[in-house]
Amino acid sequence: MPPATGSSTKKRPKKKALVARPFDPSKRVVAVTGANGYVGSDLILRLERQTGCSKILAIDVRKPSIPVHKTQFHKIDLTMPTADADLAAIFRRESVDTVVHAAFLSAPTHAAAWAHELESIGTMHVLNAAAEAQARKLILWSQTVVYGAHPLNPNFLTEDHELRGNPRSRFVQDKVEAEKQVRRFARENPDTIVTTLRTAPTLGPTIRNFATRFFSRPMAPVLMGFDPLMQFVHEIDALDAFEKAVVEDHRGEFNIVGDGVLPYTTILAMMGKIPLPLPHFLAYPLSQALWATQIFDSPPNFLDFLRFLCVADGEKAKREMHFFPRYDIKQIIADFLGVEPQPAFEGA
Amino acid sequence: MSKNILGDDPFGTGATPAGEAAPPKEANRKSKAKPKKPASAKPPSAPTTETEAATSAIPTPESDFIDVEVDDAPASAGPGVDSDSYGPSIDHEPSLPERLREEVNHIEERVLERLHLRRPERHPGDGAARQPLPLEFFWRRWSKLAMRDRSDVVDEFGRDPNVAAKMEPLLEFLYHNYFRVQASGLGHIPDTGRGLIVANHSGTLPYDGAMIMHAIKHESPTGRSMRPLAEDFVFYMPYLGVLMNRIGAVRACPENAERLLNQDQLVAVFPEGIKGIGKLWRERYRLQRFGRGGFIKIALRTGSPIIPTAVVGAEEIHPMLTKISWLAKSFGIPYLPITPTFPLLGPLGLVPLPSKWYLAFGEPLYFHSEYGPDAADDRILVNKLAEQVRQKIQEMIDALLKQRKSVLFG
Repeated sequence: MPPATGSSTKKRPKKKALVARPFDPSKRVVAVTGANGYVGSDLILRLERQTGCSKILAIDVRKPSIPVHKTQFHKIDLTMPTADADLAAIFRRESVDTVVHAAFLSAPTHAAAWAHELESIGTMHVLNAAAEAQARKLILWSQTVVYGAHPLNPNFLTEDHELRGNPRSRFVQDKVEAEKQVRRFARENPDTIVTTLRTAPTLGPTIRNFATRFFSRPMAPVLMGFDPLMQFVHEIDALDAFEKAVVEDHRGEFNIVGDGVLPYTTILAMMGKIPLPLPHFLAYPLSQALWATQIFDSPPNFLDFLRFLCVADGEKAKREMHFFPRYDIKQIIADFLGVEPQPAFEGA
Repeated sequence: MSKNILGDDPFGTGATPAGEAAPPKEANRKSKAKPKKPASAKPPSAPTTETEAATSAIPTPESDFIDVEVDDAPASAGPGVDSDSYGPSIDHEPSLPERLREEVNHIEERVLERLHLRRPERHPGDGAARQPLPLEFFWRRWSKLAMRDRSDVVDEFGRDPNVAAKMEPLLEFLYHNYFRVQASGLGHIPDTGRGLIVANHSGTLPYDGAMIMHAIKHESPTGRSMRPLAEDFVFYMPYLGVLMNRIGAVRACPENAERLLNQDQLVAVFPEGIKGIGKLWRERYRLQRFGRGGFIKIALRTGSPIIPTAVVGAEEIHPMLTKISWLAKSFGIPYLPITPTFPLLGPLGLVPLPSKWYLAFGEPLYFHSEYGPDAADDRILVNKLAEQVRQKIQEMIDALLKQRKSVLFG
C-alpha cells in the first residue's frame, strides 16, 4: 500500500485537489472550441467514433449540424468578457482532460476587430479556463501562414523558425498572437501537454476555407515573374493529425503538411484556372482597392503568398508523431477537383 | 412511379436499374410485351460504348412499346437532360462519365467531319448533342495547353526537369560557343556522396554558377547534377529568381545547404556573396572576405568534402565601372551596375562580353575527418579554415591568370 500512495502523490503534485477524477485514457472528455468550423465539426465526428472518448463538449456560438451521440453543445461566445469563467466552470464540472482550441477563422474577414477579439482574446479565455480547470492537454489549431511568406525563408520552414507572420495582415497576426500566448501558457503550465498543429493550406472536397474558395474561381491572379512553390494538406490528413494529437500525447509544435511541392502556376494549370498576370506593383494597390470596397475577399498582403515562399517542413511530425500524410500534392489537387489524376497531367 | 414498379415486379425481370422505369411498368400492364422485354431492354443497360451511352438512359424508340410509352420515356428522362442544361458551375462538378461522354461525342464529331463522313443520326429526344459544350471542357483543354511546357513534378527545391531541359541548349551554347569554357580538374568531383564546391563569384549576373553546373553535368565523367546556392537578392527579383529556381538554384541559407548535403547532393556555394558578384573592374580577381565562414560550418556539420574551384573569365563579362546603390533600393536590387554598355545601350547592355573562361576544380579538402563535426562551434578555427580555402582559391586563380594571354581569346 505505501508504494501505491507514494506513486499517486508523485503523479499529481498539484496545488489544488480540484481534479477529482484521475485521467483515464479509455474515458476521455474532450472539449472542442470552434465546433462549427471544419476542424471542430470534423474532429467531433471522428471522436464520436472513438471508443476511448466518453464525452465531447462542443463549444461555439452556433450548434454544429452534425449527427452526434455523446456530444454536448455549450453555447459560449469567446469574445464575451467572462467567457473564461464560463468555460472554466464547464471544464471543471465535466472534468475535461483535453481541450482542442480550434476557434479560428479559416478565411480573412472585414470585421477585423471582431476577428481579433475572437482569435487573440478568445485564445486568452480558453487558456485561462484550461489553466483554471487544470486540463491535461491543450491542442491548438494554427496554420503555416504564421511563418509568413518572405524571400528570405528557407525552402523548408522547420517548427523552430521564427514566426514572421505578416505584419500588415490581422488574419495572420492574430494567429501569431495566439501561438505566442500558447507558448507562454506551455511555459507556465509544464504539467499540461501543449500541442500546436500548424496546418498547411487545406484542400478537400467537403470543406470551405480561404484556399478552397480561392481555387474554386475560374481565374486566379499571378504576379508576373513570381512563381513560388506551394504545398497543401488534404482535409483527411489534417483531421488525422488532430485525432492523433487527441489520442496520443505529443508535446510541441508540428507542421501538418502534405508531401510534395509544386509551383503556383503549375497548380493553376493543373486545376485548369486561367491565370491573370499582373505586375506586383499594380497588384497590391488593386487588391487594396478591391479589399477596401469589399468586392474581393482577399486582403492585399495575401499577395505575398503568391510572391514568396512559405513552405513548411513536415519531417518533425513524421518523426515524432508518426503522422504520414496519405495524399501527396497531386492527389490532393485531383481530389479537390473531384477527378482521378488525368493522364494528361503525367508530363509531356 | 418507381415505388409501384418495385412492388409490381414479381419476376425479378427488372434486373435493369431503377432508372429504366418504363419497361417493367409496361411489361406488367401488357403481358404480351413481357417475353420481349428482356431482349429490348437489356441492350441499353448492358455496357455500351461511350457514344451510345448518351442514349442509353432512354428506351430506344425501336423497341415495340406503344406510342404512349414512347411519349412517357423522355419525360422520365427529363431530369437528366435538365441538369445538363444548367451548364457548368463551380460548385457542381459533372460526374466523370458525363464529362467523358461529352468529350467523346465531340471527338467523334470532329473525326467524322474530318473524314467527310455522315454525322451520326441523333434521336429528337436526345438533346445532349445540341447542348453547348460546358465551360469545364474548355478549362480542361486549357489545362492541357498550359501544362505543355512544364512538368507536373518538381523536386522539393523546385527544379523542373522540363524547364531545365529547355534551358540546356542555351547553356550549351554559352558554355561551348560563347564563353568557350575550358575546365580542368573535373576528376576531383566525387562520383557519389555529398560535396561542397566553393568558388569565387564574379560577373554581376550569376553566370558562373550555371557554367559550373553545366561543366559538372556534361564534361565530368560523373555527370552529376549540382545545386548552386544563389544570393537572396535573386529571389526578390521577378523572373530571374523563378528561372534560376526551376533550373536548380536554391536560396543560399544554412537550412537549405544542410538539407541538400544531407541528401548526398553536390552543392556549390559562393562565399563572397554579393560582395563578389558586385566587384568593380579595378578589384577584379581579388577575392573578397568569405562571409562569416558559414560554408565551413556546414561542411563540418554535414561531413562534406570541400572542392575549391576557381573561375577565370567571368570578371570581364560585365566590366563594372561603378555602381549606384541609392537608386537601386527602389528596384529591390542591391545596386545598379554601371558598365561601359549597360545603362547606355539599354537592354542590349545586358549582353555579356564573350570572354574566354577557365574553370579549375581543386583537390577536395576533408576538414570534417580532420576536425570532426563539433569543430563547427569553434569560431576561430572556422575562420582559419575559411581563410585557408580562400587562399587556395586565390592561388588557383593566380595560376590561371598567369597562363592566360588575352581576355577574349585565352
